[in-house]
Amino acid sequence: MTVAAEGIAAGLRGAELGQRLEELLGRDKVLWRPEELLLYEYDGAVDTARPDAVVLPSRTEDVAAVARFCSRHGVPIVPRGAGTGLSGGAIPVFGGVVLSFARMARILEIDVPGLRAVVQPGLINLHLSTAVAPYGLYFVPDPSSQKACTLGGNVAENSGGPHTLAYGVTTNHVTGLEVVLSDGTVVRLGGKALEGEGYDLVGAFVGSEGTLGIVTEITVKLTPLPEDKRTIMAAFPTMDQASETVSAIIGAGIVPAAIEMMDALAVEAVEAAVHAGYPLDAGGILLVEVDGVRDGLDEQRDRILEIVRAHGASTLRVARTALEREQLWAGRKGAFAAMGRLAPDYYVQDGVIPRTRLPAILRHVKDVGERYGLRIANVFHAGDGNLHPLVLFDSSDGEAELERVKEAGREILEACVDAGGSLTGEHGVGMEKNCYMTMQFAGSDLAAMRRVKQAWDPLGLANPGKVFPTPGRCKEYDLRRARA
Amino acid sequence: MSAVAAALRPSDATACAAALADATRERRAVRVRGAGTKSYLGELLPTDLVLETGALSGVVDHVPADLTITVGAGTALAEVRRALGAHGQVLPLDPPHGDAATIGGVVAANSNGFGRLRYGGVRDLLIGTVVALADGTVARGGGRVVKNVAGYDLNKLLIGSLGTLGVLSEATFKVLPRPEAHALAVVRCRGAGPAFAIADALLHTAVRPSALVVDATHGRWMVLVGAEGQRPQVERAIAETGRAAGGAGAATERADDAEELLAAARELPATAVDGALIRAALPLAAQRSFAESAMGLEAAVRCVVDAGSGIARVHLRGDEATVLRSADTLLAAAAVVGGSARVERRDASLRARLAAWSGARPGGEFLMRRLKEAFDPAGVLEPGRSVIG
Repeated sequence: MTVAAEGIAAGLRGAELGQRLEELLGRDKVLWRPEELLLYEYDGAVDTARPDAVVLPSRTEDVAAVARFCSRHGVPIVPRGAGTGLSGGAIPVFGGVVLSFARMARILEIDVPGLRAVVQPGLINLHLSTAVAPYGLYFVPDPSSQKACTLGGNVAENSGGPHTLAYGVTTNHVTGLEVVLSDGTVVRLGGKALEGEGYDLVGAFVGSEGTLGIVTEITVKLTPLPEDKRTIMAAFPTMDQASETVSAIIGAGIVPAAIEMMDALAVEAVEAAVHAGYPLDAGGILLVEVDGVRDGLDEQRDRILEIVRAHGASTLRVARTALEREQLWAGRKGAFAAMGRLAPDYYVQDGVIPRTRLPAILRHVKDVGERYGLRIANVFHAGDGNLHPLVLFDSSDGEAELERVKEAGREILEACVDAGGSLTGEHGVGMEKNCYMTMQFAGSDLAAMRRVKQAWDPLGLANPGKVFPTPGRCKEYDLRRARA
Repeated sequence: MSAVAAALRPSDATACAAALADATRERRAVRVRGAGTKSYLGELLPTDLVLETGALSGVVDHVPADLTITVGAGTALAEVRRALGAHGQVLPLDPPHGDAATIGGVVAANSNGFGRLRYGGVRDLLIGTVVALADGTVARGGGRVVKNVAGYDLNKLLIGSLGTLGVLSEATFKVLPRPEAHALAVVRCRGAGPAFAIADALLHTAVRPSALVVDATHGRWMVLVGAEGQRPQVERAIAETGRAAGGAGAATERADDAEELLAAARELPATAVDGALIRAALPLAAQRSFAESAMGLEAAVRCVVDAGSGIARVHLRGDEATVLRSADTLLAAAAVVGGSARVERRDASLRARLAAWSGARPGGEFLMRRLKEAFDPAGVLEPGRSVIG
């Protein structure tokens, strides 16, 4: 155990922690009774861990006060937005304080001429785009959970979404941050300008999953809304045909705003849940969207239709109205939730592969499903090679079943990394894949990341147990790898 | 310290790291050099060693259908362009010194051009790095896939680090299909007001120009609007420019083949070799007032604003006192609007009196120092080069 880890283990916990925080901040900002904490054991992933206390700050000073207190008493701090995260990022592995940003959810400024907004971390992603729409602007990253997830969470996880193929992920749309470090220091990084002098600390922080500090204010880019869009749904007899179509579209020099793919099992769930109008007899479907200025969109649509037809599409639909477009997207955006129609629980993976390896990896996913006797639905961002295999299971089958499901997920991730890809494209490492970091990164790579961690959080109290492999929890996985 | 620095020319990341480990052990300061096109940037203290990246070159991997390319850091941008061009693709970076600059230099200096508005800059296109560190290890950041959030984004720390954290040996970028068409429109304006009104109008449409530049000399304000993409999009961008110009009471000229106009603006850091060149990164809404007051300065010769990205460069010329006074004014003007500024280039005679990093200190400077200490505890990499010394 490292010195920092020993410090964490020995820190203040339990009801006393909550009571002391109440004295510090007042009763209305602190939860610590067991029944109040239940909700905070979970996020959108499958792991759970109970905090000793939850703090609901209403301003940066509250966060700094909590951090100062925690740093003196060896207490981990775990920030939490809406708890929609899919890698256990908001779960306090070592207990301690969860900081919920539900009361810091305001838009502080909309700077229309400067194409920026300054927001608090608890703001819901979609609320920002809604608020700036009257100015003809929007915030580009659109995770499927955008009706619930927060900007703070998006910054922590460097969230993506279907429309990031052409326009980038969260890190490409954040220019400034206010961060509270684990010792309570408040630091402002970047601003409204596109860059500052020195190292790109904003770039280093985005995607750090709460392990470098706690974001308390965010300056984001706003982008003019596209004038129009063309949305195409194409169904194919096989997933191979759908995958090859993706490469063909990109090979033709078209970079759509989004290319999404779903397999037959995902379609079955989606149709049962939201009736998006996807054909139930398809082996795979593609959702392709081009947007921008009105000019040239019809030509792009026609070229895509031509390619899609040439690859044997069995059904084609082009949205004629905004309502039809929303309906087509409702299926994709509601796909995870729709899994409830097929099984009580699902475990979603987030591997990335070079786009050209799609057909091979999909065959591998199928093979894993068959070997484990598990049903796996595929819903993913095909344009950027970001897979979301959804492993269906029933948690009432017990802990052993969950372990088997995770094993299947691990095999898929190994194949992704072997294909030159990544463990995670947008959900983050968290406590779910931290043991797997050694698949993708050598010791020297992780050592470089640890130096970054050490520079920002020398106390090791910022969301401990995430991102980096932890000796205790990862021992089993490391041993197996050593044998293999 | 020897009078002439010894040259190192490692041919792979491991050799590069080994050379750095030796330097660390012997406390010998290292300059990192690609093509040397930006050897005016920052403070240039003498070093014991010069590490040349020329042998870390060539295309390592290019899978056209994946729209990614991996190249050695010493590879010339021009060579990358040729390799991609053979497959109808482009790396949409158009930094100054683009004919000679190496990939490593472009990354280390965060050197961008006007295409950033449409395509993003180095930080948006760089997806993977291999870096040799001062302790002799080699670290990989990111990867070869376009979406990747596994671990910290080490790439971001290297961009603009001026070689102070490690030596880039390999870089992977997102690339794009070559645009089908391009066009350029020129609008000559009476002053900063109409020029920035045109730029603002275009920035708030969906046309996303491939260049949106305000180029000013005394009595002459010009807006250059580049468009790339499919032909209908390009025509629309030009039409939109005409509309914006009309609204500002100015006329638009179509000048599709006048690449020299854009090049002259882009290459200001290469041509402004006398006096001083101040470079500011500004909030978009502050560009007009900055440029207008800049051109009101006695020493101001030319101001080029990448109006899509808030990057303004002002070339100052004249007697030393006037240049210094103007430089101070501009550095302060950038800071008061929440931006930042540096003395990007200055005449040798001014070096002693006009420090490169005399603008406002960056937020989180103490974190930058801790990072530097963590990656280069002996301080051998490019001492003095960056804003944190």
